[in-house]
Amino acid sequence: MLRHIKKLRLKSRMAKNKQQHLPRLTDEESAQTPLSSSLLHNEEALRTIYANCWDVVFRSFWIAQKERALLIYIEGLSHAEEINQNVLAPLMEATDLQITTIDDLTDKTISVAGTSKVHTYTDIVEHISLGEPVLMMNGHKAGLALGLENWEKRSIEEPEAEHVVRGPRDGFVEALQVNTASLRHRLKSPRLKMEALKVGDYTKTDVVLTFIEEIADKNLLEEARNRIKRIKIDSILESGDIEELIEDHPFSPFPQVLDTERTDVATSYLLEGHVVIIVDGSPSVLIAPTTFYSMMQSAEDYYQRFLIGTAVRWLRYIFLFIALLLPSLYVAILTYHHEMVPTQLMISIAAAREPIPFPALVEAFVMEIIFEVLREAGLRLPKQIGPAVSIVGGLIIGEAAVQAGIVSAPMVIVVALTGISSFAIPRYSAGIAIRMLRFPLLILAGGLGLLGVILGIIAIIVHLCALRSFGVPYLTPIAPMEFRDIKDVLIRAPKWKLTTRPRLSGKANTYRASPHQQPGPHRGRDSS
Amino acid sequence: MIEQGKISSLQMAIFMYPAIIATGVLLIPSITAVHAGRDMWISPIWGSFIGFATVYIAYKLHTQYPGKTVIQYSEDILGKLLGKMLGLIYLLFYLHITGIVLREYSEFILGIFFLHTPIIVILGSMILVGAFAVRGGVEVIARASQICTPIVVILLLSVFIFLSQDLEPRYILPIFEEGITPSLKGALTHQAWFSEFFLISFFLPFLADGEKSLKWSFISVVFVMLTFITANLSALFLFGDLTAKFLYPLMSAARYISIADFIEQLESLVMAIWVAGAFVKLSVFYYALSLGTAQWLNLSEYKSTVFPLGILLVVVAIWSGDNLTEVKETVGTLGPFYLTSLQTVLPLILLLFVLVKKKVQKGAKG
Repeated sequence: MLRHIKKLRLKSRMAKNKQQHLPRLTDEESAQTPLSSSLLHNEEALRTIYANCWDVVFRSFWIAQKERALLIYIEGLSHAEEINQNVLAPLMEATDLQITTIDDLTDKTISVAGTSKVHTYTDIVEHISLGEPVLMMNGHKAGLALGLENWEKRSIEEPEAEHVVRGPRDGFVEALQVNTASLRHRLKSPRLKMEALKVGDYTKTDVVLTFIEEIADKNLLEEARNRIKRIKIDSILESGDIEELIEDHPFSPFPQVLDTERTDVATSYLLEGHVVIIVDGSPSVLIAPTTFYSMMQSAEDYYQRFLIGTAVRWLRYIFLFIALLLPSLYVAILTYHHEMVPTQLMISIAAAREPIPFPALVEAFVMEIIFEVLREAGLRLPKQIGPAVSIVGGLIIGEAAVQAGIVSAPMVIVVALTGISSFAIPRYSAGIAIRMLRFPLLILAGGLGLLGVILGIIAIIVHLCALRSFGVPYLTPIAPMEFRDIKDVLIRAPKWKLTTRPRLSGKANTYRASPHQQPGPHRGRDSS
Repeated sequence: MIEQGKISSLQMAIFMYPAIIATGVLLIPSITAVHAGRDMWISPIWGSFIGFATVYIAYKLHTQYPGKTVIQYSEDILGKLLGKMLGLIYLLFYLHITGIVLREYSEFILGIFFLHTPIIVILGSMILVGAFAVRGGVEVIARASQICTPIVVILLLSVFIFLSQDLEPRYILPIFEEGITPSLKGALTHQAWFSEFFLISFFLPFLADGEKSLKWSFISVVFVMLTFITANLSALFLFGDLTAKFLYPLMSAARYISIADFIEQLESLVMAIWVAGAFVKLSVFYYALSLGTAQWLNLSEYKSTVFPLGILLVVVAIWSGDNLTEVKETVGTLGPFYLTSLQTVLPLILLLFVLVKKKVQKGAKG
């Protein structure tokens, strides 16, 4: 009986869902129709599609003073000068033109590199929106889209969030073509494949799935492709929108897709068999699958000497624990486990805490929240005011609060240390996750002391163990253990030892370098 | 199948290790010391024989009925009615044992760290974390224990290493003063813990590399034995004949540690071992119980059984005794027979029954 009722409810819910489906753009459906051979008719149809669009230019002219033609483009999206020089001028000034098909134009007269033929109104609209002027002639059922798009792009800069001391400085920008070009520039092999998909009914955002054939796993590709194709939405404004729609565990605080603005990082992940998803209009590209440990890696680990890279990695792991645990351990120990602290230290902490009216938990909570607010405020403010906020907030308020006896000095040290540690995590998105998890741990520490902290850590570990990113367990290669891949996680093995790709993402093509390449004083002579 | 995940034999060996030692390493030394005295370090060796036997029996049963747990193949062996009854007995048994494990854990935490906290908070918080892991499935338990087990081992080793300067190896002499009997008596407690290896019969069906399972399970037994020997030896070297007087010899030993006058009072280290180990132990038992219940009831998935069983476990944990002394008494006196008879002897009878039945069938055909 109960099951029956459930089924009924499910059915009615499904029916409702159907009604709530997105209203498709109806005017576009009518635009599916092919072009007619009458230019007047075509122009009229396009003018209705582009009614009230001030920025769309309809430029009609005569080809060789014989044939009527129409050029449509969007102001500012196309290269006006090139249109004049390479399209309008040769067409209008020509005297004897033999035009049987529209292809003759591109073959003989129009000196534009990228052209394509369009046959339907949808095609035309699409090309015009991309900034490609469309040329149509009377008596022809096809138009020509000319690759003369040109709009203002940001120049290539060093990504703000991923600085390196040594290493390439170029980052991705908002323009898709620039991004794909910079990947192609680094990976010259034709095995680098790029599949274009369109997402978003209104924005029609280009989403490019990039991978290296023979390295990327076929199942992963299929999965990534399907997840992107499944998206039915009106708009995609940033790669973050795609990320939220394709991840495995939407309720987890941890990012399951890596985002980067660095071309070298994207390239190195491509070479390990990951797929890179580039979204037009967003400088951060998505890398899937990803693991917890790639959140702890920086590009520079690989550019510095491997011993230093390893040491820096370990520093990060230590600071990860400090960022996550220091405030809660401090609260737990001060509230429940005084005996763990050496006597001298305990005395000085107790002396500092003596005038403080709040319990350690409240003190820690308030300070941590203030710190988070300062960080957020400093981030959003104009660059000139940001430092002022941190000085006023951090130094003056901190100092005054300690002197007024509202907050103890050890607490300020703990909060400051935690804050600095959380910035040592190279990925911003992972850093946020760790910082947010501090708060539940603080409450557990205040309630159950060390036991609460340990239980909290176990719960986080269990959660991380349950996470998967595109089918790859989040904690690989530690849990489940992959002995071969630990060389790039617990240490940063030297380049001549990194001879294999990670097993779960690069199993299709295991070896990346020949072994026995360790250099040494005698090695140069070996080859002779 | 109810469980979709696959684990490796190594992963199973890794989580079986804390599943046995977690409670044992703290409780056993003093129980063994009562019977075995100075020879208590030999007892784990005798006890491990039961461990090897249990693993072998579970493995043999598994090869007869691959892809099935004990709850399922007991029906195949004994028929529908008897099989269901046996399954129920196993479920009630594991409910009871898991309740006792939970109680042991809580009593330790309460007795040492949180004297005034209501027991229900300690029980509830642990069962919540355990339920979280169990609902994740066998893969999550395996992965989580791959992280927790090394932590437990490293902390345990560091306690032993820190203790090494205070140890008095001469307490070990004379060996076999009263013959072999005392160490055998002490082994009774150990073999109860070792018989818990029968839990692998709930995990064998989910192994991706089943052919290695026997090897890795034996390795796990060996490591459990070595850990018990180390724990007993360090308790013996530190306290000598006094070991029997302590409730938690290892805990008391950790209090002795003092390094450079700075690292002192390492109870928190022991608590970390205890909580992390107890978590793995509990989630392994809890998982077996949830999965078994779902299979016994022919449910299509086991996740719906997790929370109800969790509440039941808390209740059983409270009922399992009035206080720690009573629980310890139960474990020390009843445990050796209770645990072994259900986890080693009964499976052995099942196995013999199967083998005889197969032979008879073969004979009838021939």
